Amino acid sequence: MSLVKSDPNPGPAPAGTLTAGSVLSVLSIPLAIVALMVLGSFVSPSFLTARNLVNILNAYSAVGLAAIGSTFVAVCGGLADLSIPANVAMGALVALGAQTLVGPVAAALLGILVASLGGLVNGVLIGYVRINPIIVTLGSGFLLLGLSQLLVGGGIVYSEPSAFGSFVAGNLLGVPVAVWTFFVVALILHIVLSRTPFGRWNFAVGGNYEASAASAVPVRFTRAAAFVLTGLLSGMCGVLIALSIGQARPIIGAGYEFVAISAVVLGGTSLFGGRGSILRTVGGVIILALISNLIVLIGLPTPSTGLATGTIILLVVAVDAYLRRRTGAE
Amino acid sequence: MVQDVDHGIALQMSAISKSFPGVKALDGVNLTVRKGEVHAIVGENGAGKSTLMKILAGFYHPDRGSIEVMGTPIGVMNPREARDLGIGMIYQELNLVPDLTVAENISLGAMPRRGPFVDYRSLAANAKAVLKELDADIDVGTRVGNLSLSQQQLVEIAKVVSRNPSIVVFDEPTSSLGDKETRILFNVIKRMRESGIAILYISHRLQEVMEIGDRVTVLRDGSNIETRDVAGITPDEMVRLMVGRDLTEMFPKLDLSIGDPVLSVTSLGRAHQFEDITLDVRAGEIVGLAGLVGSGRTEVARAIFGLDPAESGEIRVRGKAVRIRSPREGVSAGIALVPEDRKREGIVPDLPVRENFTLPLIGRITRFFLILAGRERATVQAFADRLNLNPPRIERPMGTFSGGNQQKVVLGKWLLAKPEVLILDEPTRGVDVGAKADIHRIIGEFAESGGAVLMISSELSELLAVCDRIFVLHEGSMVAEIPRQSATEESVMRAATGQVYA
Repeated sequence: MSLVKSDPNPGPAPAGTLTAGSVLSVLSIPLAIVALMVLGSFVSPSFLTARNLVNILNAYSAVGLAAIGSTFVAVCGGLADLSIPANVAMGALVALGAQTLVGPVAAALLGILVASLGGLVNGVLIGYVRINPIIVTLGSGFLLLGLSQLLVGGGIVYSEPSAFGSFVAGNLLGVPVAVWTFFVVALILHIVLSRTPFGRWNFAVGGNYEASAASAVPVRFTRAAAFVLTGLLSGMCGVLIALSIGQARPIIGAGYEFVAISAVVLGGTSLFGGRGSILRTVGGVIILALISNLIVLIGLPTPSTGLATGTIILLVVAVDAYLRRRTGAE
Repeated sequence: MVQDVDHGIALQMSAISKSFPGVKALDGVNLTVRKGEVHAIVGENGAGKSTLMKILAGFYHPDRGSIEVMGTPIGVMNPREARDLGIGMIYQELNLVPDLTVAENISLGAMPRRGPFVDYRSLAANAKAVLKELDADIDVGTRVGNLSLSQQQLVEIAKVVSRNPSIVVFDEPTSSLGDKETRILFNVIKRMRESGIAILYISHRLQEVMEIGDRVTVLRDGSNIETRDVAGITPDEMVRLMVGRDLTEMFPKLDLSIGDPVLSVTSLGRAHQFEDITLDVRAGEIVGLAGLVGSGRTEVARAIFGLDPAESGEIRVRGKAVRIRSPREGVSAGIALVPEDRKREGIVPDLPVRENFTLPLIGRITRFFLILAGRERATVQAFADRLNLNPPRIERPMGTFSGGNQQKVVLGKWLLAKPEVLILDEPTRGVDVGAKADIHRIIGEFAESGGAVLMISSELSELLAVCDRIFVLHEGSMVAEIPRQSATEESVMRAATGQVYA
């Protein structure tokens, strides 16, 4: 590309102009969700019941929190957080293990705090020391997971019965508390990402780190904060699961980092930074939940979930890359 | 000096023209290079030297004109074909793989093989032979990353020479070398000349041209002005040929009343970049910072703003000493910098114009942590209109605008932050004439309102037209302060090429 362009490319559609591409990109996620639901209603009459749909969401709400954090990480150009399973495990184990010491509410908060500290370690190393995020979170993930295994010796920690525990595991106005949590957190963080200076910094840092630094954007803080936030949300994820199922093990969040990345990518957030939205990630979480439920309803063995999800992600990314190149956005 | 070699024509470039959108980079340039001569090419930045060399290397295709190499007409060629034709390029930045050995780097892309495997014995033998030819004493088994810069450059030259080139272009080869290394390089170049290779030597350092060159071609504004024997020319004449032109683009100069010093810099230094820089800019004043590429002018600007902070010295804004170690501290001290590399440090291409505009001060357009979208939009739209943003669509991604309009946004972004000192590094580079006039108007308005401007430009005519005073840097030191009355292209150029010491 030359520095001098007297005739600017049309590029991505300007706001307020409707083009086939822009309509498609806005509607593709709702369309995919509707298509999956129609498909599901053909496969099984029990699919389109409120009960089933709530259950579907309930199963993915906790990991959805980690996906929301991963959206910040991706947008600010931090690629991905591979230490999510470790922070989920820390949150879950501390939230249950500390119950007898400080009571269930404080234990839950402590779990979230410990997971946030894991995120802080990532954040400092990635944001301030400027080490590659994949390497940092791979290392911290192994380290924290190893630490959690040392703590419980490979055993299972069980929850003490408590009013708080039953509340978290139960329903509020007919909807599981986990689902409420997911949507409330998603709404708040959607506003943070789209309407606050911190959110704006994430886009700027992911879009052009050097230019952001030269524009007095706190680039190091922004990247670090995205990882602290993901640690915190992973902790919440662990606490929710542990209290819902009444027990916690170090492998409680195994594979969640990939579920989170999948939701982010399916939603259309660029893993290379600069673009993305929480609402899109929520859409990605819902699509993943529907796919896994459909697999169960069709009667395929559960491992096919990975096969189906993987295929869909590759297809989505390939089509997206093709469309982008054709419209000249890249 | 004349050796017993064939003095036929190695390269003939005739009537070469090349335009980029909005800029005519080359206009009917002729260049004839003989075998076994060192042919220097000099000219101001933007005179067309790099474009001409990129055409020779096959990176650009000329719009018009013909090229003959060793008497054979050449059609459209790509870089690989140019290389196969025997055209070798040695750039300022080296193209070596630091983790491979000297021998591997020299044969990279053309490894000798035995069956499917690399034949390491002949690899080493080839490398030794080439280095011996250049009289360079480097162990071929060393990792290139462990070599000094000068040795790496010799490896780069060996890499080019190993392909038996007939023409080798050196583009500013001494810019990162010391005196001793320059000597070594010159000896190598002399050896290459003796073996009949035609050498094109591009440099800003006229003393070097006098020393190593046989003939010199002066380029100015995309045309070749003259080709002369080096023996019959002085550096002063070269400078005159390089800059001697009528000012075709007049920049309006506002006569402003100049106030108290706003920015005062004392003995600023940063290791290996610049030392003992003292300058001041007063309210309503536009001060130029001139110097050749690599003279440290960009580094000084970045240090004052905090991008690459100074290690010694003092910065005062309106008499108050300030500590600036980051752009954030620079901004709070009232300093703004429009950086040289717009693409890398000026814009976030995917974000809309509006968000690029408010990047430095978005934290101030909020209530309860939320961005006031309406106020942001209105402020930016008003500013964009004042800057003649074209098209005036602030929601379009920054990357879709022309260079000139991107530059207006970078400038506007900082004016919105209401700085006291505005530092501009090449504010009109790669910008078309219309946008250039807009940018000069904006700078003038800022000075008129009492702001202090420090401006870097490679275009001397621009500095002379706009500035009240010009500081000149040469190799990291301040060599002259020239007031407007006595500033001419020649006086500035003489100082910048190190021929005058303050």
